[in-house]
Formats: sequence, structure tokens, C-alpha cells
Amino acid sequence: MLTLREISHRYGDRRALDAVSAEMPAGHIVALVGRNGSGKTTLLRAIAALVSPASGSIEWRGIEPRALRPSMRARQIAYVAQHPSLAIDLTVREMVALGASQRQPAEGTRAVDGALAQIALESRAARSFHELSAGERQLCVVARALAQHEAGGLLVLDEPFSNLDPGETVRLAKVLRGVADRGGLVVVALHDLPLADQVADSVLLLEEGRVVGHGPPGDVLVPERLESVFKCPFLRGPQGLTLGR
Amino acid sequence: MNAPRRWGVAVLGALLLLGCLARLLIAPGVDGHGVGFALPSGEVAPLRMGAVGSALAAGMCLGLSGLLLQSLLRNPLAAPFILGLSAGAGLAATSAAWIAATMTALSAEWISFLLAGGSGVIPGTFGALAVLAIVYCLGRRRGVLDPLTLILAGTVVATMCGALTLLVQSLMPPTSRGESWMWFMGQVPEIPHWPLVFAAVGLVALIGAIAARLGSALDAASTSDDEATSLGVSLPKLRLVLFLGAGVLAAASVALCGPIAFVGFVAPHLARTLLGARHRALAIASPLAGGAILVWADAVRQAIDVGAGRLPIGVLTALLGGPVFLIVMRSYRARPGGWSC
Repeated sequence: MLTLREISHRYGDRRALDAVSAEMPAGHIVALVGRNGSGKTTLLRAIAALVSPASGSIEWRGIEPRALRPSMRARQIAYVAQHPSLAIDLTVREMVALGASQRQPAEGTRAVDGALAQIALESRAARSFHELSAGERQLCVVARALAQHEAGGLLVLDEPFSNLDPGETVRLAKVLRGVADRGGLVVVALHDLPLADQVADSVLLLEEGRVVGHGPPGDVLVPERLESVFKCPFLRGPQGLTLGR
Repeated sequence: MNAPRRWGVAVLGALLLLGCLARLLIAPGVDGHGVGFALPSGEVAPLRMGAVGSALAAGMCLGLSGLLLQSLLRNPLAAPFILGLSAGAGLAATSAAWIAATMTALSAEWISFLLAGGSGVIPGTFGALAVLAIVYCLGRRRGVLDPLTLILAGTVVATMCGALTLLVQSLMPPTSRGESWMWFMGQVPEIPHWPLVFAAVGLVALIGAIAARLGSALDAASTSDDEATSLGVSLPKLRLVLFLGAGVLAAASVALCGPIAFVGFVAPHLARTLLGARHRALAIASPLAGGAILVWADAVRQAIDVGAGRLPIGVLTALLGGPVFLIVMRSYRARPGGWSC
């Protein structure tokens, strides 16, 4: 269980998070949705212990993530940034292996092989990370996160679907479901609301740093509420949520 | 070790050995002009061995220091003296010479002694370490070393030290200024302080071993702060280790040979070209590359007679390193995620 209690944070005068509270059970995929600047990335970074909120507390399985040693925390919580860094030119396999650097060598090799297989990047393992398409790079850093965190851990992803084609989107959605089914918790920021409606077990809707909805997708992603937040029409029909005209 | 890396290590080893051989064999021509090749013998042999030892030790210090700084600053164009260490060393050495020149009790020999050899390493080393401490204090943001703040602090301190050095030089007796200018061009001493050479090699071995052990952390730290922290790297601690390691190595190279430009910048790129980007291998390869480059530069300059003696080593490394800098800059701009400016 991930527990957020009254999380608030500011960047100078701008309020990024305002008393965010929520409980997210292990075994779930939780989608964070909201307009640009609504606080999704700040909340993800706070959950992944990359930023200290000004107030409030975060507990993962009863422990504050920031209280853990970095190496221990890395095995519990993995973070996938929206734009992976291109500063170092490694092969795909070497990049994924960075995620397993806190493991014993044999265990790390197995974790890297498993992650590459899950994301179907084995055939590109020897290629340079720089030579990949933006979508493949995104999948590569997801594979790195899979190699990093232990089964039952917390996987935090910021817009991981943003550069993926439909086939890659389906494949990644299955991988995230697999993580949740093995007892892990997946917290993922999404702009694609129909996708959130399909893949998430629950949705946290943020507006100007405040939670304005939290629950099953069918309860939170209702057209009237979404129109009020996003200022555009949505429809809910037999096919699920769609963008209106 | 895979085949390309074995090949890369072999190339580096060959470069190093051939460079040492070239420095031992290349000599001025019989009349002091031109170039000749001769096996060193008699009194010449220890001098050339001294030059090889000095160049290897200083080059290795610069190569490893450059690698650590490029990793610390996440900047492929970073070099050891970006922190202002050479400027601080230069200010201290020039000030020492000025003090010596203005004190009537000291003879002109003292000036030379202070600047070029003997205890001349002391003011330079002191200046480099003092600047290291100042830049450390200025280069922190919210109590943690910050790459951009470090670069800015180093640049400001270097500029101020440079201005003060010019001031001190203008106050020096004209007869003493030449020695001071020569110091800034770098010198590979043929009669080195061997304890200093061995200490520098020991430092390279120690810091290189630490860097190799931290190889995965250095790889991760080359990504973004968020990614590195998420991968389990304690960035504040790692940056402190890199800063101190790079600074002490740069100070050791200044103590050995004065300020020598571009070796610390080029060596990590040569190592990367041969061995790839992983820091575990680079921590071994970069010092070897630095040693090879400096010993080759010292050998080549023996063959370049500029009329008033051989080409100063610092001038040669700057002339060769400048174009390499531009090539690296252009190649990084062309890469995905490269600079857009």
C-alpha cells in the first residue's frame, strides 16, 4: 500500500501540490491524470523520493521512501522519466543493466535478460541507445526500471506511452499489468484519458495541485467532470471513454 | 572483456610504449638544431628517463582528472583546469617568484628554483589546492555540489586569478618575467622530484581504483539527476568524491609539469573512442591515454625547433587539442539530444 497524507509542495510562489491525500493498494495500476501543470510530475517525483514535499508524508509498505538508503530504495522503487537522458552513449543492454547495478552479478544478468524479453528488445540489445527511435528509447528505460525493482515493488512512470505506436502501447500496457499482477504497484501519469480508462484500476484526477477525483476509472472519468477540468467535450459509450467533437 | 575492448586496450598499450620509446630515442641534432635518433647513454639516459617519468605521471593525472570532471559536470568539453586550478597555481607560483625577486637577500637562482624545479612545486600546488577549496565553497547549491554552479565558480575564480597574475607580473623585475611566462607554457622536467612522480602515480592508482569500483554509479550519474537518484546513486556523495579526486589529480599534474592544456580533455575522448562509454573501463583507460598523449607530445616537440629552443609543451598540446575540442563539440551537437545552440 502506498499512502499519501496531505502532500503539499511549492515552486517559489506557485503551488504545485495542495494537501494531496490518497491510498493506492499494491496490485493496482493507478493513473494520474490532469492538465499540464496540474502537479502530476511533482507528485510522481515525490512518490519516487526525488523531491521532498514541503509538508505531508509518504509511506510505501509502512516506510518513508526517503528514509531508505539509496541502494535499498532503488530495489523497491523505480522511476521512469518522461524524457530519458541521452548524455551517455551506451548499448541498449548496458543501459538496461544500469537498473540491475544494485543486484548481485548473476541475479542482475537474469534481471536484464528478463526485462529485455518482456519489452521485446532482445534483438536490439547490442544497438546504441542513441540509434533507437524515441519510442524504443522509452521502452528501453522501462526495461531498465523492470530490471531495477524487485517483484512487488513500486513502479513510477511519467508519460511512458507518449512516443509509442499502437503495437508498442498494447505491449507496454501488458507489461504494466504483469507488474501489478505480481503484487507491485504501478503509478503512471497519462495524458491519454481513453488509455487511462482502459489500463488503470483507479484514477487520480488532479487540478491545480488538488485531488478532484480518485477511484475507479468509470467513477472518475465522467464526461461532465472531465469537461470542467479539460475544457473540452468527452463521451462515454459502449467503447468506453472517447474525446467528443 | 569483449573483443573490441581488448583491441582498445592493446592500442592504448602500444601507443604508450611507442611514445616512451620515441621520447627516449628522439634527440636534438648534433649541432643543437634539427632532430636525431640515438639510444640514450651516459648522462643523457637519466634525463630522458626523468622526462618520460614526469610526462607519464602528469599525463595520467590529467587523463583521470579529465574523466572525473567530465562525469561530474556532465560536460564532454570539461577539462581539469575548468575549475581554475591552473590559474590558482599560476598566481601562487608567480607571487612566490615576485616575493623572491623583491627580497634582496635572495639571488636570481632562488627565483628559478621557486618557479621551475626543486621547491618550486610548493607554491603551485598550494595555489591549486587553495583554489580547489574556494571553488568547492562557491560551487554548492543548497549544500550540494552543483555542476553548473561549479563551472561558473571555476570560471570566475580563474578569471580573477588570471588578472591578479598579470598584476603581479607587472610588478616583477623585467628580468624575472620570462621565467614566469615559461611556467605558464608547461614544462616536462628532465630532473623530476621522483618522490613526487611516484606519489602522483600512486594517486592515479588509488583514485583510478575507486573510480573503477564506482563505474556503474558513474554511468548512472551521467544520465539525469532524477534517473541517477532513482537508480540508487547518492549524487551528493559521488560528486564530492569526483570533485576531490579530480582536483587533487589536477594539482598533482600542476606540481609536476605546470599547467598543460587539453591533455585532460582529449584523453577521456581517446579512451571512449577505443573502449566505449562505460566508466569502469574508462577509469583505467583514461590515465593510460593521458600518459600516452603527454609522452608523445613531449617526444614530438623535441623534433620542433622554433629557433630559441624546442616548442614549449603547453603550446603544442594547445595547438593539437584545440581542433580536437572543435571536432568533439561538433560531434556532440550532431548527436540526438545534443546541444541546440
